[in-house]
Amino acid sequence: MATVTEAHETTAASNRMRIIDAALACVTRSGTRKLTIDDIASQAGVSRATIYRTFDGGRDAILSAAVETEVARFFSTMAAAMGRAHDLSELTVTMLTVSATYLSNHQTLTFLRSHEPETVFTHLTFGRIDATLEAATSFAAPFFVQWLEPEEASRAAELVVRIVVSHLTDPDPAFDLQDVAAVTAFVDTFVVAALVAPMAPRSRRIQKKQEKGRSS
Amino acid sequence: MASEPEQREIILQATYACIARWGVKRTSLEDAAREAGVSRATLYRYFGSREQLMNAVVAWEYRRFFERLIDDVRDAGSLAEVMELGLQSARKAITEHEVLQMVLQTEPALLEPTFSAIGSTTRDRVAQFLLPYVLEATLAPGRDPEAVADYLARMFLSYMGAPGRWDLTESDQVKSLVEYELLGGILAS
Repeated sequence: MATVTEAHETTAASNRMRIIDAALACVTRSGTRKLTIDDIASQAGVSRATIYRTFDGGRDAILSAAVETEVARFFSTMAAAMGRAHDLSELTVTMLTVSATYLSNHQTLTFLRSHEPETVFTHLTFGRIDATLEAATSFAAPFFVQWLEPEEASRAAELVVRIVVSHLTDPDPAFDLQDVAAVTAFVDTFVVAALVAPMAPRSRRIQKKQEKGRSS
Repeated sequence: MASEPEQREIILQATYACIARWGVKRTSLEDAAREAGVSRATLYRYFGSREQLMNAVVAWEYRRFFERLIDDVRDAGSLAEVMELGLQSARKAITEHEVLQMVLQTEPALLEPTFSAIGSTTRDRVAQFLLPYVLEATLAPGRDPEAVADYLARMFLSYMGAPGRWDLTESDQVKSLVEYELLGGILAS
């Protein structure tokens, strides 16, 4: 039987998720500018007091928790797909196509991009792009380690993140990042070839590792 | 009396000076008109609204930024060299750009409308600028020059805006970034 403390913790955790999901639903419908605690409370079906008890930072604390949750959901989808890749090319193609598909179908992001682009903009350009790059690179790098030395894996991950961000902020109608065949052709010529280019001193180590990988 | 393009230029310069002093939010049309030595009516005739004026100033400084950049890479003899010189000089220009840094610190969202509006135009311009260098380079088989120029333009703008793990003030690092990471899959080995 659960103790009182455990039961209380479970309620707190479920309140937290409930409030975050309600905030996301509100933002998807009408953005962040006029979002109030009352909107979130009535969407979540909880009292204002419960909200303040769960998030002592109020509206802004809920919004940053919502961003964190959505990033975690995004990374977990990415991880499931990237974990299935069989080689460097497939990994890179998966990272590009799955993220492009996920992000373009993300309703909250879609609403924000068309109605309050500056909210998204600061995360993808000068303002806070460094933090975004770093977070995405740290997430993706471990997947590349299977085929590249750790330092190269980080560089590879960062390069691929840059391609995603570039197409997200400035889409090319002639090159659909969700199109697996087109992206594979692009990755095999521009990206993978650069990561394993025989002329690079660091890439000789990569080749060695690939040979090692093949023989084992 | 100044011609129309001259007067436009005077107003843009004056507005830029006000922004450098007070920031975007605290620069009013009256400030800009006074600084330019024109009447509010004249300023309205050229720019219509405060928003249009601000967008025009950002676009104006953006154009000047790229003009200076093109000037800095004029002596580049190859695709690798133009990318290296360009990245180094662009990064330096951004770090030392006091007005840009101030706006980024205090009111970054104000840049969004203009940047979004001119984003793909900028990429096109950089790609067009790089294309002759791409055409002169010996590409690996199957690399389409226009696609190469577009990809390099995207990456140029990406590293220019955020160098990430690279120190673009170090010429060795810039060289390694350009030759291996960016051109490694593009040039014939």
